[in-house]
Formats: sequence, structure tokens, C-alpha cells
Amino acid sequence: MKKLKWTWKIWMLVIFIILSILSIFSFPPLFLSKGVIIKNIEANSTVFTAGIRQGDIITEVNGQVVNNFQDYTKVITHLFNSTSPTTLNNLTNTNNSLNNSLVSTAKQVKVIMVTQKSSLVNEKKTYSFFTSSVPQIVVSDVPKTKLKTGLDLQGGARALVEPEKKLTDQEMQDLIAVSIERFNVYGISDIGIKKVTDLSGNNFMLVEIAGATPTDLNNLISQQGKFESKIGNETVFVGGNNDITYVCRNDATCAGIQSCDQSQEGYVCRYSFVIHLSEAAAKRHANITSKLGINSSMTGERYLEKQIDFYVDDKLTTSLYIAESLKGQVTTQISIEGSGTGIDQKTAYEDAQSSMKKMQTILITGSLPYKLNIVKLDTISPLLGQRFNYLILLTGIVGLFAVSVIILIRYRNLKASVALLITSFSEVIIILGVAALINWNLDLPSIVGILVTIGTGVDQQIVILDESKSKRIESMKEKLKNALFIVVSAFFTVFVSLLPLFWAGAGLLKGFALTTMIGLTIGVLISRPAFADMLKIIDQKRVEKNAS
Amino acid sequence: MNKEKLNGFFDKNYKKLLLIPAVLLIFCFVFMFFFYSQNHDIIKKDISLTGGTSIQVTSNIDIATLQSALDTKFKETSVRQVSDILTGEQVAFIVETRANTTEIVPFLENYLGFKLTDKNSSIEFTGSTIGEGFYIQLMLAILFAFIFMGTVVFFIFSDNLKIKLLIVALSLITPILFFMFNAISINWAFILSFIVLAISAYFYIRYSIPGFLVVACAFADLFMTLVTVNLLGMEVSTAGVVAFIMLIGYSVDTDILLTTRVLKRRGESTNSKIFGSFKTGITMTLTALAIVIVGFIFTSSFSKVFHQLFTILIIGLIFDILNTWITNACLIKWYAEAKKLD
Repeated sequence: MKKLKWTWKIWMLVIFIILSILSIFSFPPLFLSKGVIIKNIEANSTVFTAGIRQGDIITEVNGQVVNNFQDYTKVITHLFNSTSPTTLNNLTNTNNSLNNSLVSTAKQVKVIMVTQKSSLVNEKKTYSFFTSSVPQIVVSDVPKTKLKTGLDLQGGARALVEPEKKLTDQEMQDLIAVSIERFNVYGISDIGIKKVTDLSGNNFMLVEIAGATPTDLNNLISQQGKFESKIGNETVFVGGNNDITYVCRNDATCAGIQSCDQSQEGYVCRYSFVIHLSEAAAKRHANITSKLGINSSMTGERYLEKQIDFYVDDKLTTSLYIAESLKGQVTTQISIEGSGTGIDQKTAYEDAQSSMKKMQTILITGSLPYKLNIVKLDTISPLLGQRFNYLILLTGIVGLFAVSVIILIRYRNLKASVALLITSFSEVIIILGVAALINWNLDLPSIVGILVTIGTGVDQQIVILDESKSKRIESMKEKLKNALFIVVSAFFTVFVSLLPLFWAGAGLLKGFALTTMIGLTIGVLISRPAFADMLKIIDQKRVEKNAS
Repeated sequence: MNKEKLNGFFDKNYKKLLLIPAVLLIFCFVFMFFFYSQNHDIIKKDISLTGGTSIQVTSNIDIATLQSALDTKFKETSVRQVSDILTGEQVAFIVETRANTTEIVPFLENYLGFKLTDKNSSIEFTGSTIGEGFYIQLMLAILFAFIFMGTVVFFIFSDNLKIKLLIVALSLITPILFFMFNAISINWAFILSFIVLAISAYFYIRYSIPGFLVVACAFADLFMTLVTVNLLGMEVSTAGVVAFIMLIGYSVDTDILLTTRVLKRRGESTNSKIFGSFKTGITMTLTALAIVIVGFIFTSSFSKVFHQLFTILIIGLIFDILNTWITNACLIKWYAEAKKLD
């Protein structure tokens, strides 16, 4: 018997499968790698200056091996156990003791990293630096594959934001830039913000945050962020870099929670942080205060007759007394104060911290010249996502099993049925490979797309199989040509019917359309021709067997 | 039944068989007429298309009591149980309401006695304007999908190149005016699409009756599915509309198979071509159904999106069997007899 010969079409399918597996698992395989990957790093932080970058993998800290996220947390808490939020117990009402507990002595940190030079070459490097606080980085376990799942599968929040007025492309870009900055200042890094357009030409900003959802997401996204500081009716300075040249944050010497007190309804914690004013704003301040009279309080302290008021989005948030010594002074350094409340000290502390962050954010980024509306907001619990993955996998496996039973009953030909199943399965692998390659987020609609592909893929292979088995007196080549005609026709009809989904619904269904189209195209160009050739080989073998 | 008897039966009765889909279609039209006059729309929309909030909370509290508590404060609110497919135990519940998140969340937190966080709940909010917007756009997407599909089908089965190009140009007019130049509003896009569809239908009938039959059967399939969805009282979500678009693809491929075999194969009787394609086509539809039913069983208790998507696909695929193997098969047989293709 002649040896079974694979055609170039089958080889092409094999090559595509191998490439896809490489694309999904990377080389060397990601599931073998250890350590934690840096998802975000604060620019200009100590760690950043030391040369560590986003995407680097930490494998060792100060001689201790870091295999996963737990290891990393253990090492870091051990090193910096005196910093917040664990400092809560040390928190007292006087400024001095608080600062003492926050500013611990600088420690040397020696980190061994695997730096990803490119997707194929990894390099081991050691970084060493001194720091007194927890490194400003966000880390997570190294993912097992290059596949990225969408928010509906891994949990997170998605908001569709519509500006009050129609924005030009430039304005939209500015809005996105400001929003990204706001999130970064706020400490949220794993975020995607992009412009989406719907069928009617409306522009939206789509914000997607992976993982845990910040509690005040609503505010963070849609707040116009207009900050004004006024004395009486006169504006002293506003948020943004025209008036404010520097905002202190992440530095315990000039920003932090100052005190926590018990109040009637629970606890109140006060924060303060320093900002630097521009020359012009400082002069304005001097000019306005020089005209004010002086009051003395009951305790004998002397203040100016008017307070300085802070407004956020036209709402008064804080009023502070101005010390007599500041009257008519050109001061560029100003302390911004505010407070947070809660039923116990911990919640009050957290509330104050989050208000402080919010205030810092709008002072840095300034205000947007228009209002924003959140028109759609989905927050998906990460826990639900995990269960989902499992069920979808189960669906895929049981589905393929059911199909193979039908095929086997119908054709009673084990080889052809197996070939059919292998081809369907390889299509799924290639779709996933392409998804990993183009960094596509596999969301729920995309999974549906993959299911559709399995369905139509099997369908089209059945056409080929039946056509090849028909008893007409035509050559195998002729029969398969007829079959491919039907397959290609069906491909085009489905393909074009999905096109409108690219725009409808603000692009939220794009994932479905895209994965289905990728799947169908792979099918028609790679796997269907290969399947046809597999059948030819099986047929040839049968003929040879009969002849001998 | 042996082959000869089947042949005889089909030859004698194929026109009578058409009565089944005809009666069904008449019923569907009458039903939709009343449905539309009552609801002023062709479907009942759920909150992803009308606007509102959907909250899924991990909790096994009694949903009946919750429902009555909600009814006292909110209008048009529904509570649904989410259960584990293996044990059948309630693992969560879903509240759907037209109310805003800011109204319903405090109420639920108060009722449940704990705060809703991203650890114990998922919240989906859709503003009413955007919901309506999505709906109109998805309807237009279906219309476009249908016109594009028709164009490709015509392209496959017609022999007249000039008319083919004309149909392609015709089908592209609306999308180009609408997307590329933003020259027309969405309402005009609808009107123009219907005009295009009417003109195309004329050309389909004039130049390629088999092509027209494929498109008509796809329409019958979608329409019967729509009526069934309405009869079941389902509230259609974005996912449901997507399911209809998927159905266009699923229903057309068996029709293309049938038509291609009948028109292009030589040296076989029409009946044997039809029976041959039936064998292939029914396997196709059954495998598709198998995948969809498995998906339905495994995911529908858990995900509303999948539940609806798979339900609509199951209904559609069943109607596809009828519309391909009775409607289209009998009509194409009629066409073949008239044209003496045998």
C-alpha cells in the first residue's frame, strides 16, 4: 500500500495550528513561568527611576523567591509593615506621631526581574534601590496564556459616557486623555478608554476597568471636576495646571490623613495635602487677602474675617480659616484640607483617603468644559466571571461531543468523522490564536461568535462530506468543487450579514461580529480546503484497498 | 416508506404541502397585526433596550417575598432565580427594573441588610435614551444584514451580470449615504432601505426566482421565530436581536445547499436532488441544534444573555427545517417542473 501523502493544504492547517498554539501560550510557555507581572507603574516613582517598567516580571525580592501574588504580598508587607493602611492602629490625633509612623526609614530593596525584551527573548536583571514606602506598582500573577478575557468574563466595570454636547475628534481625544490621567492619579491603571461611534454617528467614550470596581466610579467618570477656591465672591485659583503647578501626593511628608476624631455620628478623619500655586494665582491670593479685616476667635487665635471656600462642581465642600499671618502675602504653597466620615475609624480613614484622592485628581487634571452623562454602566462581579468560564468550557466540550455522536451515527465512518471533529477543533484553536495575536478581549459576544463558528464549520464540513460521498459518476475533484461552491456561497452570505454589527449598539457587539468573521474566514480559507483533502486521502486509501 | 412511494407522494402532493407554511404565515401576519396594534412595536423589549437596571446578587433569599416587596415601591420589576445546574440550588437572584441604579440599589441593600459590592453583585444599567438608540440601530442592522444577504444570494443564482452589479450598487446606497457621508438620518435610512428592498425583490423575481425563494424562506423563518418569541411573551434584549441576525446566516445555508444542488447538478431527477440535499441539510441543522441545545442547558440558568440567544436559535432552527424542506423544497420543485429542469 502506498504511504499516505499529506497535501500542502493539510500542512498549511497543521502550520496554522502550531502557530496558534505558540501565539496562545507564548514561547517558552507562559504557564511554566513564575513570578508576578507589573501591570502598572507610577511614572517618576522610585521604582520607575530605578529602571523597572510595566510588563516586567518580578521573580525575587531581597533574596526571597516570588512565585506568585501571595509571595509578593508577603515579602512586601514584611518589608514595609509600618505603612498604611496597616498603620491604622498607630494612628493618633496628633500630627507628629502620625507622621512618625508613616515615614519609616528608607530601606534597600533589591529586585530580580525578568525583563521582556521582546515576546521571545527574556533577560534577567537585578535592580537595587532605596525607598521608605511600598513601591508604587500594581502587580498580578503572570497570566497562563496570552488570551485576554473581556470584562463580562473576568469581572470589572464598563461605562459608556456621552458628553453633553457633540465633540469634535480633537475634543474627544482631549477628553480621553484627561480621563486616563484622572484614573491614573486615582490609582486605577488596568483601564481601557476609547472612543466609540454608533450607527447614528453619536460619539461616546467607552471606559473599561478590569478587576475590582472602584466604589465611586460614577463620580470619577462623569464628574466635570470643576474646582474653584474662593474668598467671598472672588476666585483665588481653579483646578488644572494654569493655577496649580504641583500637587503633593503619595508623599507622607506633604500629603496624608492628619487626624481622626470621634464625632456624634461616628468618626471624622481629616486629610491635608500641599499644592503649589503659580505666580499669578499667588498674587491674586495676596491681593484679595490684603483687603480683609481680622477677627479673633474665642481661643484667642486670630484669623482673617472671611474664610477660603473650596467648591467642587459648584458645590461647597470645605471652608477654612485663613491665618492672620497670610494677609497680603504672596504664598505659593497652600494646604488643601478636607475630611471623611464613617461609623468607625477604619471607614472614616478610608473615606478621607478616597476624598483626598478625588480632590488631588481634579486639582491636577482641571475641569472639563462640558458635562458628561453615563448612559450605560455595567459592573460585573469577578466571582461570577470565574464560574462562567467553567460553564462555557463545558458547553464547548459537551457540544462537540454531541456533534460527534450525530456524525458517527449518520456516516458510520469513523475516519471521516474524526477528521471532521479535528478540523472543527482546530478552527477554535486558530481563532483563539488570532485573538491572542491581535490582543483581542474575548468577551461574552466573542464566545458566542466562536460557538457560531463551530456550528457553521461543522455544517459546511457536512456539505463537503456528503458531496464527496455522493454516488454520482463525477471525479472526486469535481464533487469537492461543487461542495466548495456551496461553502463559499454560504460564507459570503453570513459574512455580509454580520457587517452592520460593527457599528450597531455603539460597537458593544463588535466582538461577536469579529470573532465570527475571523472564524468563518479561517474556515473557508484554511480548514475547509484541508478537510476536503483529508477526505480525498481517505477515499484514495479506500480505493487502493479495494483494488488490492 | 420506500423510495418510489416517496417519489410518488412528493410528485403528487408538493403543491398541497405548501399549505402548511402558507397557513402558518397567514396566522403570523394576523397575529403580528394585533400584536403591533396593542404594543406599538414588533417585539416586547427588555431593559437593555428600554433602559433600566438589572442587578444580580449572590444570595439565596426567598424571591417571592422580595418580588412583593419590590412591587410596593417600583413599577415593572421582575425577580428571577439563578440556580446551580448541578445541584439546582438557588445561588443568586436577578432583579430587573425600569428604575435607575440610584433608586433600586439602596432599596435592595436595605431589604437584604448588606451592602452591594463587586464581590456579591453585578449591576447593569442602561439609560433609556441609549436603550432606545440601541434598539433602532439593531433593527437597522437586521435590515442591512437582510439586504446584504439577499444581494449575495442573488449574485450566486442569477446569470445576468449587469443586473447583479445593479443589485450590489443598490444595496450599498443606504450604508454609504448613512455611514460614510452621514448624509441621511436613521429614519431616512430605514425608509431608503425598505425602498431598496422592494426594488431588489422585484429584480430577484424577474431575474432569479430561486434566489428570491431563498430570501423569502429566510424571511419566513425570521418572521415565524419572531411570532413565536412574542407568543411566549419573551422580552427581547440586545442578545436576542443578535440571535435574529445569526438566524439569517443559519437559515440561508441549507437553502443555498438545496438550490445549488437542484439548479447545478446534472443527470439526476429533481426529487432525488431534493432528497439528497435533505439528508445533508437535516444533518447540518441537527448538529447546529445539538450545539445550541447543549449551550442552552449549560448556560441558560446562569446567563440571561445566553438563555435568550439559545432559545431564539432553537426556535429559529426548528422553523428552518420547515421552511427549507417544505417551503423552499416544494417551491423549487414547482420551479423545476415549470422550467423542465429534469
